[in-house]
Amino acid sequence: MPFEKYIDEHARRTAQALEMGGTKRLEKQAAHGRLNARQRIDYLFDPGSFLEIGMFARGEPRADWDNTPADGKVCGYGRIQGREAAVVSHDITVKSASSSPINVRKMGQMRRMAIANGLPLVLFNESSGARIPDTMGAIGTGTLGQDPTQFIRMREVPYVAGVLGPAFGTACWFTQLSDFVVMRKDAQLAISSPKVTEIAIRQKIDPMELAGWRMQAEVTGKVDYGVDTDEEAIDLIKKFLSYLPSHHNEAPPKAAVPANADEGAARLLELVPEDRAKVYDMRKVAEAICDPGSLFALKDRFARTAFTALARINGQTVGILGSNPMFKAGAMDPDSCDKACTFFVLCDSFNIPIIILVDTPGFLIGVEGERRKAPGKVINMMSALQMCTVPKFSMVMRKSYGQAYLNMGGTRNTDEMLAWYSADVGFMDPNVGVNVVYGVKREEEPERFEQLKGEIQRDSSAYDLAGIFSAVAVIDPRESRRWLARLLEVHQRRPAKGIGRHLLGGWPTTF
Amino acid sequence: MAQEKVKADITGTVWKIVTQPGQQLAEEETILIMESMKMEIPVLAPVKGTLKELLVKEGQEVSEGQALAIIES
Repeated sequence: MPFEKYIDEHARRTAQALEMGGTKRLEKQAAHGRLNARQRIDYLFDPGSFLEIGMFARGEPRADWDNTPADGKVCGYGRIQGREAAVVSHDITVKSASSSPINVRKMGQMRRMAIANGLPLVLFNESSGARIPDTMGAIGTGTLGQDPTQFIRMREVPYVAGVLGPAFGTACWFTQLSDFVVMRKDAQLAISSPKVTEIAIRQKIDPMELAGWRMQAEVTGKVDYGVDTDEEAIDLIKKFLSYLPSHHNEAPPKAAVPANADEGAARLLELVPEDRAKVYDMRKVAEAICDPGSLFALKDRFARTAFTALARINGQTVGILGSNPMFKAGAMDPDSCDKACTFFVLCDSFNIPIIILVDTPGFLIGVEGERRKAPGKVINMMSALQMCTVPKFSMVMRKSYGQAYLNMGGTRNTDEMLAWYSADVGFMDPNVGVNVVYGVKREEEPERFEQLKGEIQRDSSAYDLAGIFSAVAVIDPRESRRWLARLLEVHQRRPAKGIGRHLLGGWPTTF
Repeated sequence: MAQEKVKADITGTVWKIVTQPGQQLAEEETILIMESMKMEIPVLAPVKGTLKELLVKEGQEVSEGQALAIIES
């Protein structure tokens, strides 16, 4: 038969590539309860849609040609729920998925082609970092950095990362660049492995303290969700992508509107207490306003005063930022500002309208806040909000004091600011204001204190806000969804076909 | 069994303790309620587990970051 030896050789090499690092290493991966690099791709993409790029790439040294299938990173294109995407899946069974000049070229190809063709880039990150000993010495290290655009992030397409095992070096760097990160609870994310770090700093290290998921989810805010399995991680990745367009020059996809979508808002007067001393969970308010089942929290374990989520209203993707009185009474701290800022960047970059739900006594002040650069964080958030060109709406529900009133979209910092009839707006908490403005302390002159507090509060009503046309409407809370839905119908940025100016596309990816 | 300290995320006063040592807690279940900025703010269990020890009493003033309880999970 013609070409028989070529056919046989091609089949042999293909089979060798598909064996990855070999049976023993694949069994070890399975014993950890983890999928391997190719199984993750199979779970991600629609059946039959995967087109592999770089299957026959191999490590550069001749000695590595036969033991580095795909050079340890499986790359290619496929469809996720019908939409094209690109994937880089690190293969831990091949030299611990270490990065080399060849596989970094593959990753660069995926990145450039994803951007050029408007494909979300999915990264299954699990790697020991740079390949040792190849990167040792001047030649090894000097070979790095061949691509001067490798770490540019202009948010032309979403980057989403699953941290599915130990993720150091390039796997860690690209996680930092990503818009959405899920992390297995047994995975590790750090500059370098605990073992290398222990050697370098000559101290014993708890791996989970250095690199564990709770540190990343609760302290750094890099991780959106901690998960138990790869399948859970990939399901969340698909869910995140379902809210976003494939690239920044497209409006987000629309979803079907569930039945009874308008019923939740009727519960708002029960969900939010009239008594100002009582707190409530802002997440439940967001749930009541949005399409049932559509609320998808981001970074929920980090900076909990600021609640951020993707959601839908009448099938349209929206971004919800809410100050949550359950945590710190809704007072915004430096981390909340960073979280809000990052969220504005995400929504604005992918043409997602922003809705801000407001009930906050202001920013937390004090020495600790100043040490954590609170003024800079406040202004970063303010700059980012003002640079957003997607439709922005704010709804003042109860308190909104001081600079936080502005940061949360007050007056013209959003396109339309609504106020519930319970809104209470002022420069500072009346309890503090009496002391600052009149020099009267509650414990010294209790009656006069209450009288002056009453005067300050009388001037803080929603109708005063509407009277000067800062609030465009004073509404019954039960009308919240109807108002927001109609505003979304009007605010479609039709001359630009729903695409924003993306002034935040180059904003740093970590705060 | 991992032990974890539940810390105050704001300065205030311990207003009401609504659990007792030995109680099984769900994630985000209320352990105690603080008063701060004239508001009643629940302190929630960060993980599912057993309340091992309460480190504060009702009426006690606490600072941000102060340990309030220990959970075992």
